Amino acid sequence: MFQPASLKGESPVPIDEGVRNKYLVIYILIIILSFIPCSLFEFWYVIYFWSEPFVWLFFLLIPLNALVAIYIIHFSAILISVLILKVVNLIHAPKEGIYRRSLEDRDYFFWNIRNIIKKWPLYVLASNPFPWFKNRFTLRFFGVSIGKKSICDNSWISSEFVSIGKNVIIGMNSSILSFGIEQDNFILKKVRIEDNVLIGAKCVLLPGTLIKQNASLSAHSYTNHNSVLEENSIYKGHPAKLKSKK
Amino acid sequence: MEQEQDTKFEMEFISTSGVYKTPFSLIIIVQLFIGGLVLILVNLWFINSLYYLLTGSEFFSIGLKAEWYYWLLLPLNIYGNIFLFVFTIIIFSAGVFKLLNKISQSKEGVFQKGSKDWKYMHRRFWTAFFPIWLARALPLPWLDIIAYRFFGTKVGSSVVLYEGYVDPEFVEIGDFTMTSLNICIFSHLIYHDKVLIKKVKIGKACVVGPHTIISPGTVMEDFAVLGVNSYTKINQNLEGNLIHVGTPVSITLPIQSVEESQQKAVKVKEGVKDSKENQLESNKDLKGG
Repeated sequence: MFQPASLKGESPVPIDEGVRNKYLVIYILIIILSFIPCSLFEFWYVIYFWSEPFVWLFFLLIPLNALVAIYIIHFSAILISVLILKVVNLIHAPKEGIYRRSLEDRDYFFWNIRNIIKKWPLYVLASNPFPWFKNRFTLRFFGVSIGKKSICDNSWISSEFVSIGKNVIIGMNSSILSFGIEQDNFILKKVRIEDNVLIGAKCVLLPGTLIKQNASLSAHSYTNHNSVLEENSIYKGHPAKLKSKK
Repeated sequence: MEQEQDTKFEMEFISTSGVYKTPFSLIIIVQLFIGGLVLILVNLWFINSLYYLLTGSEFFSIGLKAEWYYWLLLPLNIYGNIFLFVFTIIIFSAGVFKLLNKISQSKEGVFQKGSKDWKYMHRRFWTAFFPIWLARALPLPWLDIIAYRFFGTKVGSSVVLYEGYVDPEFVEIGDFTMTSLNICIFSHLIYHDKVLIKKVKIGKACVVGPHTIISPGTVMEDFAVLGVNSYTKINQNLEGNLIHVGTPVSITLPIQSVEESQQKAVKVKEGVKDSKENQLESNKDLKGG
């Protein structure tokens, strides 16, 4: 809630420069395709309302028209990127592991491709006035499971290999990363957060973290790679260490 | 009873401020509708008068007849629409906020999930969310301070408050205070199925460093400085005219001029042999700890 303008965006992803420049065509293609339903709608709107008895309504409904157009762009952006993502996943299925950080490595290459496809819908939906659209609604389409009644609106969550349980509270400005870069290695590992977990503000979860039920992580702390936070206990520090049991 | 709970909260950990999605959160649609309605009415009147100037006939007749200078308002109309929309929403939701406060007065303490105060806290937060979101989306950096003032937060003059998560109630900020990038000022703290509400007071001419968290109950006295990357515990008191650092705040340092600190740096460089003396001297400067 009440996030500053500079932190309103989608979760940042370091897409490789080679892919970013070379496959810009895909990115632009997704943008153009997602505008097609919107422009069809506008065409219908003008044709239908710009006739004698309805000219009144034409002006009256312009604000509503703008709102509907924005939502059509949102939904078509998700739809098209999910379709392209399914095709890409058929060519090379995403899987966890430690890879070399060069574009010759197929896993690393396809991770970049997947993220360039997801970029547009995540960017568009981050600017939605309804805060629950940013993570809770969008990420479900990309295979992130987020349970009911969880607060995760103001955090940066990676768009794959993350699962969040029911009734989880994730603090403002904390980031959940399922990828990591360590010199020449690229790590891709699932982050799992079970039910009733509480994560404070400004926390960082590195790939491979498992937080068990009812655990709490104090504000301003981070977890190491592959660290396991036991159930019913409180963790705190840099990196997070067991502080007390409940 | 309440005091016992407070100390227990202090013992454990700092979590976060935030709200659940409740049915009341759909007030955003009402706010959008009200803002859009005013926008449509003003624009209809304006388009109607321009249409009259062009053709001589009207869609509908209101008492005023359009004059030639209405054309001069056209550029203002295009940009002013945004401000009209934002200000109507801010004023409307400030009214709703006050109404909610009248129904159930907001108060400090620890509240159970599902209790009346918990519900009304959520309602107040959801009414304040959208206007502040809009105010921060506009290119005027001081507009969100105005929005905060509408919701009853006491913000002094010449305050920098653009780049942080700030709760809209139980926050008091003095004149000439600077807050940096990416800070959190929480007057609410979630603790599983409870919520703690406590007032935050920031004095005059304080500096809040980047990436800091200010927990409920914190009192920053005048001219206090909170260092980078640190956070305060619940009910902590930061003394004035000193620098405070630590996670949570545990070290206090004196504020020194550039010359003083440079002199000390020279001493440290020179005196490798009598480094013990230097250490003693620097230990004197450390306060508390």
